[in-house]
Amino acid sequence: MSQYKIIFTGPVGAGKTTAIESISDIPPIKTDASASDMTKTKKASTTVAMDYGIMNLAGGEKIHLYGTPGQERFDFMWDILITGGIGLILLLDNTRADPFQDMKFFLDSFQKFIAETNVAIGVTQMDLSNKPTINDYHIQLQGMGIKPPVFSVDARVKNDVSLLVQSLLYSLDPGIEA
Amino acid sequence: MKDERKSPLKIALHGMDGRNYKMMVMYLQGPCKGAAVVEDLNAEVDMIDADSVQAKKLLEQKLAESARPIIALSLQELTFENILYVKKPVKTDDLLFALSEAGTMLSAKKKPSHQVSSYPENATTRQSQESIDQTESRLSSEKNQVKKQAANTNEQKKTSKHQTAMQLDEGKFNAYIGSVPGLDVNDPKQFPDAVYNPKDYFQGYVQSALMVAETKKQVMHLNSGWKPLIIFPHNHDIWLDADDKQLRAFAGVAMNKISGPGMTLTPADPSATSIQGGLEKFHDKDAFVWKLAVWTSKGRYPSALDIHRPVFLRHWPNFTRLVITPHALRISALLMESPRTLPEIAQVLNIKPQYVFVFISAAYALGLIGQTKREADEIFQPSVIKKSEQQSLLSRIIGKLRANKS
Repeated sequence: MSQYKIIFTGPVGAGKTTAIESISDIPPIKTDASASDMTKTKKASTTVAMDYGIMNLAGGEKIHLYGTPGQERFDFMWDILITGGIGLILLLDNTRADPFQDMKFFLDSFQKFIAETNVAIGVTQMDLSNKPTINDYHIQLQGMGIKPPVFSVDARVKNDVSLLVQSLLYSLDPGIEA
Repeated sequence: MKDERKSPLKIALHGMDGRNYKMMVMYLQGPCKGAAVVEDLNAEVDMIDADSVQAKKLLEQKLAESARPIIALSLQELTFENILYVKKPVKTDDLLFALSEAGTMLSAKKKPSHQVSSYPENATTRQSQESIDQTESRLSSEKNQVKKQAANTNEQKKTSKHQTAMQLDEGKFNAYIGSVPGLDVNDPKQFPDAVYNPKDYFQGYVQSALMVAETKKQVMHLNSGWKPLIIFPHNHDIWLDADDKQLRAFAGVAMNKISGPGMTLTPADPSATSIQGGLEKFHDKDAFVWKLAVWTSKGRYPSALDIHRPVFLRHWPNFTRLVITPHALRISALLMESPRTLPEIAQVLNIKPQYVFVFISAAYALGLIGQTKREADEIFQPSVIKKSEQQSLLSRIIGKLRANKS
């Protein structure tokens, strides 16, 4: 049976683990460790390998949900994770010093995968920091020549994560009927 | 000099790009505890990057219009009177002293007349960058604390503003949206009549009032003879003393020539007790206009659009904070591929025209819809969409996600 994957990526603390937890049918398998680098200033533990969740579909098929580790030194794993992926969910933390730089970094890193599939962007922590606005993100993306969905997302809220994933899938094929 | 204030000093930042703005927010919440960055409207103190392009204009404007203390950050020595000056690279002690002075002045209700600086005059941009880097490093270690502080702000208490989207299916549509008696918007022969002019409804007055408030950058009260509506242009909020049910009913009522001209727009006091006590009545401006347009449309499309010409979508709406009408995500995805006429969207997606019309009405109200003028856009209209090889799989994932929504 084929392996179908949706990949969640983004910087440390953007909510990848939480987002996977929101829509997974199993308690997600986390590979967290106590943070020992700069990450420890943001949270006590962080993902060092990957997060993993599953969505069970009618008919027995499974969609595997993979979260990449946020730290750049683990980027060698990204190529392995994206193989066979349906599309990319990029989560950005709006309280970080320069979320646009984060966005550019991840869009550049996954450029080939995005060109072959698609990307949807979720901006988290907007209730803590309302700038940049969603419109500001669209302006930045316009300069990069792409127009993906960009939504405010609370990674803890299943509906937010669900809508973000739905927008990714409809971007792949607007003709899908649920 | 010590400022004895117990509440944080509310500061508005001006002339800073996104990165510097964010850095200063964190700096003020971290090393300079006791200060909080707020929207211009609610501020007690203005802080201006006096090296920015628009600094001169900003300073003149603030000096003329506002009695608030002003803190100016600059690499150059400033000689303005009535301004607290902090020389760049900004050091915590200097900034704390300026903040303390500003706090004292607020208490005493007087204007400043001196500089705050203990730094050599030959400061360079390089030093400024080093200072920023050091600051950034310190900031990250205090970020958790900052988030906890921020979590207690009024912003998070605006529950309506941050609530997740309501996703309507076809079954709920008519009950939620309503319909126009005697008009079948899904009958192609009646398409020419399936139009509405937002200006004839409350929607038009709200949109007009929003433009005025944003242009003037002033809190405004729309007096409609109905419920009080107050516009906060600085943080894109609308405050309405009515629930959705009441708004939905009022949205559908055409304003006649008598009630329409009776509407007035006047400056409002944002600190009014009734507003401060009703944080749950705040709405995000875009989410408010979107749902107002949905309820005004009732499945019709705006009269300004030519149904025979293709429309395009400038970018995806922020769906997680909007009322999601049936097939809205599919329509968005389709329009992001290429412009299409409204009937063609319905035909290609095999959906009722009313779902297209209502989505287009809402997106048009937010300025997201444009109409093509180039002939090329009409000539090269693809009549079918490319079907994904995984359509069945994608469909089942969507079905699963929609079934599981919380």
